[in-house]
Amino acid sequence: MTFQLNMDRFSLDDQANNYDVVIIGGGPAGTSAAIYTARSELRTLVIDKGLTAGALGVTSKISNYPGVPGPISGAKLVEIMREQAESFGAEFLTDKVVGIQFDGEQKEIIAGTGTFKAKVLILASGAMGRTSTVPGEEALLGRGVSYCATCDGAFFRDQDVAVVGNNDEALEEALFLTKYAQNIHLIVPTPELKAREALAHEAESHPKIKVRLGTRLKEITGNGKVNGIVVHPRKSPPESLPVSGAFVYLQGSQPITDYLMGQLDTTEEGCLLVDSEMQTSIPGVFAIGDLLCTHIKQAVVAASDGVIAAVAADKYVNGRKKAVVDWK
Amino acid sequence: MSLLDNDTRNQLTEMFESLQKSVKVVVFTQEFECQYCTETRQIAEELAALSDKISLEVYDFVADKALADQYGIDKIPATVIVEGGDEGKDFGIRYYGIPSGYEFSSLIQDVIMVSAGDPQLSEETKTWLAALETPVHLQVFVTPTCPYCPQAVLLAHRLAMASELVHADMVEATEFPHLSNKYQVMGVPRTVINENVFQEGAVPEPMMLEKLKEAVAVAA
Repeated sequence: MTFQLNMDRFSLDDQANNYDVVIIGGGPAGTSAAIYTARSELRTLVIDKGLTAGALGVTSKISNYPGVPGPISGAKLVEIMREQAESFGAEFLTDKVVGIQFDGEQKEIIAGTGTFKAKVLILASGAMGRTSTVPGEEALLGRGVSYCATCDGAFFRDQDVAVVGNNDEALEEALFLTKYAQNIHLIVPTPELKAREALAHEAESHPKIKVRLGTRLKEITGNGKVNGIVVHPRKSPPESLPVSGAFVYLQGSQPITDYLMGQLDTTEEGCLLVDSEMQTSIPGVFAIGDLLCTHIKQAVVAASDGVIAAVAADKYVNGRKKAVVDWK
Repeated sequence: MSLLDNDTRNQLTEMFESLQKSVKVVVFTQEFECQYCTETRQIAEELAALSDKISLEVYDFVADKALADQYGIDKIPATVIVEGGDEGKDFGIRYYGIPSGYEFSSLIQDVIMVSAGDPQLSEETKTWLAALETPVHLQVFVTPTCPYCPQAVLLAHRLAMASELVHADMVEATEFPHLSNKYQVMGVPRTVINENVFQEGAVPEPMMLEKLKEAVAVAA
């Protein structure tokens, strides 16, 4: 264990971590909202897991975003949007939100590196969540199944573990585990990794990490605790791998709402419910983009949601009865 | 060598200016200091030096056995946050193992909470705690590198502050492997309620309240 004290969590300077608007998710929805709120002189923070963490960020070619003829990579398009938001004063933070306190006048957003307060919270975390778990996963959660290697890595010293996923987060967690584990089987469901090039190279060349491309996780086995996983490589029969830990970072098309811990009203499918101004069941909390299931999953539609929420956010913060839209 | 850097010290000093009631930090270590005992004592010493409102007492787990028993300390390093003054109230807030990494923030927030005298729980939780008749012991297993853990630790400590019947320990899992084994801790945060009810992860207050009800029902 390395010894360090983590002070990041504090808003030591009372004002520093206080925002008018905190936006969770920096895709087209969140970034468009940020452009408008920052331009309305609302102090705005966007918390995002990374350029390639979302659905647009992993799209290789876009040619139908109005005003941007392309073809352009999704990550590049997101970057342009962010620069535009930053030019109006919006701040961006690369971090993961771990919890939110909705009670109290200000909403408290707890992220890995700090706690932030906001008058208005705009949720734009997208729909890259998993649709289902594999057999054994839920029963063995906390018994060797984990979604946080930095939290739980220390329990797997000198043992063999599996990391399942293909994105930046999966690779970062696999690399973290090299400090503790003996061997790390990186089970990648797609034919190639979908992560930053440097990160992919680091993982692929690490002596402790064995990369298995095009291999799907079928089951996590164990009796009281994990003793293995069943994987299915493309064009080969399923096989068992003995491991004592399974760290799962798979993605799907489900709205990402785990950090909300059931505190907001959703549909049966897990989509957030909002009114015509994108406001959720809690006043001052808005949800936009792919978190809603009411629309077409296109970047331009998500961006439009962001603008609607931003205008409503301005109204909410400034106590205006009517929306003021800047035409200049 | 100082553990708190200058920036941190300055920021904490400023933050502690708004402390209200005095707070006492009690540390149990021993003559031949255990793994992380030295650092735990040093963290408490440096913290106490930052505000007149924070006092520190350091005891020897072996030589001061009577006091250790009085506080119910059964392992070290142990850190206890109590209300200051001669009649300082012990709420049952404990840290076993070093409060470092993310848990350093829990320690600071506990000092602020005890000083403010308000655990900030919902009316529903307060009502339930007021009617509680049996003791509840919460053990929150953590690692210092777990960003989710302080939420679980702080909730447990808030519950302890709100009820004399609730005691809440942070337990640093890697320093007490026998306890991690005993309670089958392979992931954190994991909260053990009265030895037999478990909660994985950091959950919001209403969910923890349901777990507490379950644990009390098991005991009855």
